[in-house]
Formats: sequence, structure tokens, C-alpha cells
Amino acid sequence: MPASPQIAIVGAGPAGCFLAQALLRTSPTLHVDVIDTLPVPYGLLRYGVATDHQGTKAVARQFARVFERQGARFFGNVHIGRDVTLDALRASYDAVVLATGLHQDRRLGVPGDDLPGVIGAGALTRALYEHPDAQALPDLGTHPVVIGNGNVAIDVVRVLLKTQSEFDGSDLGAGPGRWLDDNRIDSLTVFGRSPAASAKFDAVMIRELGKLQNVSVRVSGLGDPADDDAPVIAALREVGESESAAAGTTLEFCFSMQVAQIIGDDGVTAVRFHTPDGPLEWPATSVITAIGFESNPDLPRSDLLRHATDRERGILGPGLFGAGWFCHGPRGTIPDARRGAADMAATVLEFTEVDPKKAGARIFESLPDVVSYDGWQRIDNAEVHAAPATRVRQKLTHRRELLSEARPEEPS
Amino acid sequence: MKISVLFGTETGTAEMVAEDLQRHLLVMNDVKLANLEDVDPDELNGDEFYLVVCSTFGDGELPATAQPFAARLKKQQPDLSAVRFGIFGMGDSGYEATFNFGPKTLAEMLTDAGAKQIGERAMHDASGRERPEDEVIPWAEKVLAEAAPLFAD
Repeated sequence: MPASPQIAIVGAGPAGCFLAQALLRTSPTLHVDVIDTLPVPYGLLRYGVATDHQGTKAVARQFARVFERQGARFFGNVHIGRDVTLDALRASYDAVVLATGLHQDRRLGVPGDDLPGVIGAGALTRALYEHPDAQALPDLGTHPVVIGNGNVAIDVVRVLLKTQSEFDGSDLGAGPGRWLDDNRIDSLTVFGRSPAASAKFDAVMIRELGKLQNVSVRVSGLGDPADDDAPVIAALREVGESESAAAGTTLEFCFSMQVAQIIGDDGVTAVRFHTPDGPLEWPATSVITAIGFESNPDLPRSDLLRHATDRERGILGPGLFGAGWFCHGPRGTIPDARRGAADMAATVLEFTEVDPKKAGARIFESLPDVVSYDGWQRIDNAEVHAAPATRVRQKLTHRRELLSEARPEEPS
Repeated sequence: MKISVLFGTETGTAEMVAEDLQRHLLVMNDVKLANLEDVDPDELNGDEFYLVVCSTFGDGELPATAQPFAARLKKQQPDLSAVRFGIFGMGDSGYEATFNFGPKTLAEMLTDAGAKQIGERAMHDASGRERPEDEVIPWAEKVLAEAAPLFAD
């Protein structure tokens, strides 16, 4: 009979795993179960963080310790809201924390934003990083346009414009690698609604673009250099002035351009903008939107948040909590998730009462193909061993492959 | 030898590395572990040997938990001439212009206050194939061997 609370965290991404880490640091005897709809843990680290930013993915090794040393358990391939209802989960655990993030791309909300050829940065990223539920990689054509002025836009641009050798040491898959090779991008233009001074890029991300081998960068609308230039302006200026000798592709940044309409009949042909100088039509073969994320419909997020006891602290109701982007919206970085976790752990423990009669993880026993942490380790091993010399991992891409690799070998 | 492992971290990786180092050294020694954000520079002393693990964040900046320590160091201007430390730095050569600048800044601040650095400042590379939790152990053993005569009674 468990003497300490049984806690279920829904979502094995950074918010969920940092919370599990913080909970078990505060109270090592807790029963912490981390549940994910995918057969694999780590969410955004695996399917959102750019393939060439392996340093950022190193956080996964901390999370591995949460399962290997701190005693958290993983239940993968369990979809809360479909395989198990949220009410049933709450009935089985003393506390349930929703940390499922936000992965639906926010739409532009202008005429034509549903035309073929308009794709969200999140959807594109999932396809590039071989998420099992991703759509097929699209045809971007020769002149794609990226809408958005945050780091997500920069990640997409950088990966689209890198040459094969620039992916050494990444975990880019063979299929996406071929797709990138086959792209025929002549020019890529990034549009921001605000002036450059309000852009949300990190300067360090902009400077990284200056190192791309086959790209020349043009930046318009920065004005004259000034001593009080924000770091991001200085960085844009710097990369805009760098000349790449053999530049195959042009990358251009334009600011103060608000999308009015996506134009096309059965696919994108142009984007119409409002600009300070009047309307402007820009030819485009595809449009990648990187303007933020919103809720996916599996959990009644807006209802839960509207009736929250104390949303600020992540208390949604009796024994029900929210963490990370699910609760606080699509702002904040991976380090922010870590910083929030200690307070959140204290809140969860303060407002959780133990009921030894609760079933805990026994409610998953009747489900087929639940992936344990051991199962994930089998997947992880297989992926690392299958990697070619220039890659650190070769992901298994289909759910059935992941599930089959996760199963323990039958004793012969 | 009394050893204190101090860490400055942003994403928690330096903390993980520091924890591993403490676990490894605990077998032989009395080893404390502290987050730099909880360390008062005035309390650093010559009786302990400090093994500092520090990452780099953003544009070559100090990681979040090293910043309050650096601010206190600047404000208090303590005399650290009795203090001896080794430093294991972490960075990403993908950002070569500021590679390992977090630990570089921290080491300079400590030596400017009079502290003596023992051994080489390790520069782990997140873009490399080695893991910092693996590299930290041989580094620490080398630095501890160098420091041992200084702490012999």
C-alpha cells in the first residue's frame, strides 16, 4: 500500500520531466508516473528542437536519470482522453498534472490561410524530425516565404538552407535529408509584422545564419547603425553584411510587413502584405507560418483553464494541475520550464491528499502496447546503433516500428 | 582534502555533471555540493578545494545560477587570495565566438579577486561526441592530483 502520493504527469516533454525531477528531488518516495501519447518520451526535445542543436537536446540525459535513478516510471503510447479518460485518470491518482504542451500551429487568420502550400512551422518540423503522426513533407518550390519573427522561424530557415555536410553530428533522418537535398529553393524570405527592433529572435540565432555555407543574407529596413542598436539589430546588420562567395540561395529579412491575404487558386502563388508604404504583393511558392502555437483538441484545455482554481500557480481543480505551456501559454524556453518546476512541485505536494485506495498505474494494465522506460531504452539503443557515421541517431519513424522495438525479446 | 563541488547552470546539465562528480568523489572524500546561486563569496575559504562546474548560455553569458554569485562577487569585492579552485567549463563550439565564455568569465572573476586556479580550465563541447559527465571525472582526478600537495598538512 503506497504511503506517499501517487502522481500522474501527462506529457513527457520538458515541462513534465522537469516537474518529475523536481517532485522526486523534493520527496524521493513519491510515486511519479509520466504518461505520453507517443511510444517515446521527451516530446519537444525529440520532435521540436532543431536536429543540428544537439547541445540543447542534452537535457534528455537529465531526464533519463529521472527514470533511471529517481524512480519515475514511463507509460508511453497511452493517450489520455482516448485510451483512458481524464476522469478515470483522476480517479486513479492522488494528483494529475497536465503538461501536454501546445503543438498546433496558430493560423494566420487571413483569407487563403488554408490554401495548399501553407504549412505551419510545427507541422513542418514534425515531418522533418520524423514524428510518427506527421504529415508528408511538402513541396516548397523555389521561393518559399516564412512568416514570423521568433526563434522557431530561424530554426526552420537554418535547417532548410543547410547543405548535407552541415548536418554532421545531427540526428537528421535519411528521408528528410534527401528531401532537403531535392529542394530547389532559390530564395527564402522571412517577413515580420513588427519593425526589426521588436523581433523576438535571439541575436545568437541570427549570427548562426551568418555561418551557413551556401547562403547570402540580405536584411532591409534596419536604418542607419546606431550605438544603442539592440543586440538582435546588431546581429542582423552583421549577417546582412557578410558576403558568401558561392552563395546559391538568398535569404532575405523584411520587417513591418503584415500579411493581408494568401493568394492562389489551388495553391499559393503570392502573399499580399500591408506595409507602411501601402499594399505589396510578393510572389511565393509556399508559405511557412511560425507565429506561435495553440491548443490541440484532445483535452478540454480552455474549459479546464477557465474553471481553474488558481491558474497562475497551476491549480486547475481538486487534485488536478497544469504545467508548462499547457497552463501558461506558448511562451518560455526549456530553461524556463526548469525554473518553474521547483515551485510547481511544492504546489502539487501542498494541495495533494493521499488516498491509499487509488489504483495508480493499474488502470493501464488492460491497455495494449504500453511502452515502459525499458521499452524506450530498447528503442533508444536501436536508434543509436543504427546511426550512420555522420549522425548521432537514426530515428524509427513509424509507430508500429517503435512499438515493435519496444517489446522485450521473446525468450527462445 | 575537503572538497566542495559548486555549479552554475541554466538548463540543469551542469548540475547533473556536478552531481555525478560528487557521487564519484564521495567514495574517497568528504564532498559538498552547492548551487552557485546559494553561495556567498565571503564564505569561500582556503581549507576547502573548490571544483566548479559552469556552463555557457546565450551569447557567451554566465548561466542563470552563476549570475547572482557573480553579482555578489562584484559587489562584495572579497579577498579570495586563500582560495584555490579548479573549473570545468561547458559550451558549444557551434557558437565559436563565445565558446566556453561562461566559465571563462567566472574563472577570471575568481582570479581577479585573488583566488588561484589549479589545473587547466576544461572546455567541454556540446557539439562534440564526448559527454560532460564522462569527461568531468578524469579532469577532476588530474586537478585533484595537482591540488593534493597544496592541501597536505
